[in-house]
Amino acid sequence: MSEFTSLRRQKDASPQEPRPEVHPFTEGHLRDLVGREFPGGQFTIVPHRQWLLNDVVLGRPGAFPEQGSLAHPLNVYLSTSAMGITWDELFEWCGATAEDGPMFGEHETEVVTPMLVGSAYTVTGRIVSAERKVGRRAGVFDIIAYTLDIADESGERAASTTNSIVFPRRSL
Amino acid sequence: MSRRLPNVDETIPTWINESVDPERMKTMAALLDDSNPIHFDLITLRNLGMGDRQVNQGPSNLGYILNMLEEWAGSGSVRKVKVRFNSNVHAGDRLLARGTVTGVREEGGSQLIDCDVNLQIEGGDVALDGTATVVWKEH
Repeated sequence: MSEFTSLRRQKDASPQEPRPEVHPFTEGHLRDLVGREFPGGQFTIVPHRQWLLNDVVLGRPGAFPEQGSLAHPLNVYLSTSAMGITWDELFEWCGATAEDGPMFGEHETEVVTPMLVGSAYTVTGRIVSAERKVGRRAGVFDIIAYTLDIADESGERAASTTNSIVFPRRSL
Repeated sequence: MSRRLPNVDETIPTWINESVDPERMKTMAALLDDSNPIHFDLITLRNLGMGDRQVNQGPSNLGYILNMLEEWAGSGSVRKVKVRFNSNVHAGDRLLARGTVTGVREEGGSQLIDCDVNLQIEGGDVALDGTATVVWKEH
């Protein structure tokens, strides 16, 4: 069991029972997190998912996507589907759970070669930064950023995405 | 006939989402494998004291800005986008994706257009803001 699972709130603990010890996610933990590699994986932009994505974001209307057609650039962000861990597992790396209210911070997409429907892509990535801040109203929070690199079928980098997540540290 | 290059300070045509659709949030939750119920479960929202309108996923909000850029500059034109997520967008919100040209430059034989971009909630906050770069296709 991860050392950070003890950070989860014990919703069922009654006021009379002693609360389990909470291990704070220290700045040392933050430093150790930087450079941690994702397992990675592969994904293919299949036509029906491209159609659904266009429908969700009210993107390009028209015919069903054809193999080899230009994919919506939001697919760069969607490469997170192949980062090799779940969102819950990523939150656990960062000493948190979904219940702690992590929020999107910043996002960056960089496209070298536009992505195509029907093409397979390989995703690699890592945690690139982790810092603790204190806000007057927000209190203690951590900003943790990761980068995913997306390579096309020839192994060349097609795109990258860097995203930061804000983790409130209400227990600190 | 070739399209003229944009000028600095030129306004990008606004892209509008007339009303954020909560049904589409369910599809995005499935596409992202995002289990957060604030995007689709009104009971959870109310229990959390977050009102009675579902919260739109951040990537969808990013998608609207990308739509604006591609409708203006063409499919496959986006080269870079960098945005901050400032505020939640809720079901029923009317959204305006807007942008302004801040630079025109040549790099590697391509014309690149730099822009400021934002997603405005009508009557509310700027949900996202940032910058973008597109490659300008003359045809």
